[in-house]
Amino acid sequence: MGGDNKYLGYIYIAPYVAGLLIFTAFPFIASFYLSFTDYDLLSTPKWVGLENYQKLFTRDRTFERSLSVTLIYVFMTVPIKLAFALLIAVILNYRLKAINLFRTAYYVPSILGGSIAIAVLWRYIFAESGLVNMLLGVFGIEPINWFGDPQNALFTITLLRCWQFGSAMVIFLAALQSVDKSLYEAAAIDGASQWQIFRHITLPLITPVIFFNLIMQTVQAFQEFNGPYIITEGGPLKSTYLLPLYIYDKAFKSFDMGYASAIAWVLFVIIMVLTLVAFWSSKKWVYYAGDKRS
Amino acid sequence: MKRLQKNITILLAATALASTAAVSHAAELRMSWWGGDSRHKATQEALKVCGEKHGHTIKPEFTGWSGHLEKVTTQIAGGTEADIMQINWPWLPLFSFTGDGFANLYDYKDIIELDNWTPEQLSAGEMNGKLNGLPVSTTGRVYMFNKTTFEKAGLDVPTTWAEVIAAAPVFKEKLGEDYYPFDASTLNAVMLVSNIATQKTGKDLIDPETMTVAWSADELADAIGFYQTLVDQGVIQSWKAGAAEGNMALHENPKWSRGQLAGSYEWDSTYFKYSDPLEEGNELVPVGILKVDGAQTEGVYRKASMTFAISRNSDNPQAAAQILNCLLNEPEGIAAMATARGLPASRAASEQLIEAGAIKPILKQANDIIMASTGPAVSPFNEHPDVRTVFLDALEMFAYGQIDAETAAQEIVDGVNDALEDYKS
Repeated sequence: MGGDNKYLGYIYIAPYVAGLLIFTAFPFIASFYLSFTDYDLLSTPKWVGLENYQKLFTRDRTFERSLSVTLIYVFMTVPIKLAFALLIAVILNYRLKAINLFRTAYYVPSILGGSIAIAVLWRYIFAESGLVNMLLGVFGIEPINWFGDPQNALFTITLLRCWQFGSAMVIFLAALQSVDKSLYEAAAIDGASQWQIFRHITLPLITPVIFFNLIMQTVQAFQEFNGPYIITEGGPLKSTYLLPLYIYDKAFKSFDMGYASAIAWVLFVIIMVLTLVAFWSSKKWVYYAGDKRS
Repeated sequence: MKRLQKNITILLAATALASTAAVSHAAELRMSWWGGDSRHKATQEALKVCGEKHGHTIKPEFTGWSGHLEKVTTQIAGGTEADIMQINWPWLPLFSFTGDGFANLYDYKDIIELDNWTPEQLSAGEMNGKLNGLPVSTTGRVYMFNKTTFEKAGLDVPTTWAEVIAAAPVFKEKLGEDYYPFDASTLNAVMLVSNIATQKTGKDLIDPETMTVAWSADELADAIGFYQTLVDQGVIQSWKAGAAEGNMALHENPKWSRGQLAGSYEWDSTYFKYSDPLEEGNELVPVGILKVDGAQTEGVYRKASMTFAISRNSDNPQAAAQILNCLLNEPEGIAAMATARGLPASRAASEQLIEAGAIKPILKQANDIIMASTGPAVSPFNEHPDVRTVFLDALEMFAYGQIDAETAAQEIVDGVNDALEDYKS
């Protein structure tokens, strides 16, 4: 590239860079500054130093509750979702009749999953008079209070997230299909069972993809909002009150944008630390092509 | 007759010309509001009519109730709010505690016919002596019962709490265990407890002079105890049972449609929202405010339902005032808007709609109950988000058996006082 076209590349990337700066970088930096202020959205932010953070960690019981609910939600959702996505991907990797139809069908919930409509549908399915209790009734099981019982509500929200396993599944499927078939043939000739083949060939070869899905799903789970907001609005007894809901309420209902920014930054740090831990641990369990480790 | 018609025509033309004279240029305006489909259609039609009359164009921006506060907040924070806004009455102190958050409508008294409101109504829209919002209608909470369900149980529609409580065992016996004469979960439980405490004390939750809770913790605990009595006697389903449907509004609840939940405490203006989903043949009737023993007042929760405000950043505040006046006071705007926002507070609008038979009798009946009932003035801070959250959270913990009534009451008193701390002058 030279002459008149030497700036062409910059022009091509300009829209993305502009979007990144305006819609990501600026709010990112601004929220960091605001987390040290008392800001009600309508008047000038007032610098309060570490007060918001002090209040968060010493006097805010709602934050404490919301953080623990969020962590439980993430640690419940991510493993279940990944395991389920991998299981379905393995099944769909077989040459079955109408396999493409099944692949599409399993992916559909992921396209719809984040939508408000599906959250509303979920609410109807698990309502006291909903489909699930109706089916349980067929087997003589008493209706379960899915949303009204704090013990069940988070689990019900978790199921919605797990049901949206399609995108992780598609990535797993692509990884499974890229595994060298000659390895399977060699293992079969040596008399390896299906489980041994999966455990010692498939699984190690797709660890980069497991790692990728783990990071992505963890980050997304920490940011879950639609499901609990629509289905339970964080209740009962704040048992589904995830941190993003608390941030939203503080920012737009209590007009406490400074405090909401502080919570958002705590959430960011938690996600970052967990991601770093995952990266650090990946050296021990993720295998890349050409890796010399045994 | 022809002379009368001619005179009216001249009068209308003169009114239009007089108000247009103050604003000679055609302005481009925006108006935002929340509501349902019927309100959206009526308001768009009214904006079209008023825009054509005064030579302005008005771009509508409408949403449902959910999320509208957040939208308006973001717009006001960014200075991009619409010229004319539908602002919920309790939001006035949030956006304009000093009275400077919106345009002062007293500055446009030559354009807006303010004599259509009583001084009491106008004072409800004032912040710090400045008229920030014009009350569109006056609303209040009214008790409503499903007459058909009561008849099926062989009972008349109740007019006292004693009758409601006595209905519970009859419902269970004649209709089934899952039938309740009344419903009060989440926010409605808060409103019910507030009503009981107001009746017993004769005071609103918030003392406007001191900006602190006017009830003692014992008085509030007593009202919470009444709520628990209703649960224990099978008058209302427990909070936990109500939550089994998820975050579902009462009017969307199949139990309400079927008449299994046979009563509620709702805004009078939302009568049709609750009567429409009922299964065919069911009739919903509003009754006078139910009183507890020892009540000093009916404790009616009456307020301006919503207001129209003009942005302080509007480039065309006079044009906005013209449109606002047209929507609320001029025949064309009134006819188009009709009762899309309940019974109008503007005298001109009310008279025109009554004469035209556009106000449904049942809506008028519900509103008459509100207007005739007694109670202390209601502070807009009752609906401050933090006040609501504190009240709701403590009551929920009580309802789930996590804390007793006394602890819940103390938590509410302390929490509300904390929330009001910033608003003390």
